[in-house]
Amino acid sequence: MALTLSDNDINLLIDENKPLPADFMTKIQTRPKKGHKESELDVNGANGSEFRLIMRQSLFNPLDFSVILAYRPPKSSQLFRIRRYNGKSHEHTNFIEMETFYGYHIHMATERYQEIGAREDTYAQPTDRFADYQQAIKCMLDDCGFELPINPQGSLFEDI
Amino acid sequence: MNVDTIERDFREKVSEKLKLESEGINRYRVFTPFLFEDGDHLSVILKKEDGYWVLTDEGHTYMHLTYDLDEKALQQGTRQKIISNTLSMFSVQDRGGEILIPIQNEQYGNALYSYIQALLKITDISYLSRERVRSTFMEDFRAFMEETVPANRRDFDWHHQLHDPEGKYPVDCRINGMSRPVLVQALPNDDKTRDATITFLQYEKWGVPFRSLAIFEDQEEISRKVLARFSDICEKQFSSLGANKDRIKRFIQESMA
Repeated sequence: MALTLSDNDINLLIDENKPLPADFMTKIQTRPKKGHKESELDVNGANGSEFRLIMRQSLFNPLDFSVILAYRPPKSSQLFRIRRYNGKSHEHTNFIEMETFYGYHIHMATERYQEIGAREDTYAQPTDRFADYQQAIKCMLDDCGFELPINPQGSLFEDI
Repeated sequence: MNVDTIERDFREKVSEKLKLESEGINRYRVFTPFLFEDGDHLSVILKKEDGYWVLTDEGHTYMHLTYDLDEKALQQGTRQKIISNTLSMFSVQDRGGEILIPIQNEQYGNALYSYIQALLKITDISYLSRERVRSTFMEDFRAFMEETVPANRRDFDWHHQLHDPEGKYPVDCRINGMSRPVLVQALPNDDKTRDATITFLQYEKWGVPFRSLAIFEDQEEISRKVLARFSDICEKQFSSLGANKDRIKRFIQESMA
């Protein structure tokens, strides 16, 4: 059965402190796949929750990218997408609000979209807080309770 | 009901959602009303390549599918068949992960129709993952074991030649090369879990040396009684494949050492 989370649960997961390992910059280096580059990193929250960072970028269009924070519920194979930072490569429509836009945007898991049987992160808001892949990663780390290591190995947000 | 009015409304609704926006020389973004299940629209670019116009997704469609799916899973089993049939049916090409269609004889509209249909059919694979996981779990298990265990140290659908020549007590995968081979069962449901319980008990009864490993599709879906009986006889269990691949791999590699 698909996991459903309330808005309150979602906010608690976002706010949970997520310490990053010293070598996280190395670990999120992307590898080329079929038409895109990708990397993933598992992160344990301070309260014991398990998260996964999922990063994707098109090999053909650098503005087509996704930076995802997903939650891994205990004893489940499901990945619940809490936040998704998308590049400028497609329009997005919020079904409930009946609005469509084109540009950089942030998907957010919401209770109301789960209730109608849609994907948890169907709702999205346009943003001008990032304009490339590296900035999107920084935005997600800023928004979602990540704790950067004191002396990160590798230069931050360069050559990711 | 005025049929003319309805027809006009259909036309207006469809055509007003179709737009072209320039994104540089000989490059246009094609806006359409067609969506992935998460509200993102399909990504479509019209561009000129080597003197010819093509419609392309610039790798977006496969990339979007990999939010939920391992990229390798797109190239195996049922999913791979759906993709290759779709490409063939709509004369669409896969060029290193970029799905594209060349526009022949200035038939831009026809090409767009075929292209959209192909992309939508390919995106439906995400439903296969979310709603029909059972049909691909065994494929995913097999692909994982092929990736994790060298070919000379594994036998799929193995049974004991001496004690069980008819194969009544099959094991999904036997990892060999150790004094106690690991018998691995992939368990998608109650029935298979009951069978695996009987199989492991039978091997115990025969005195065959082995270690047992079980990987559930979703352990939470197994009934408590069935799971309790199975837990008594199985040495190591993982509650699911997708979320535990690293742990399972580590366990298998340590067992093989």
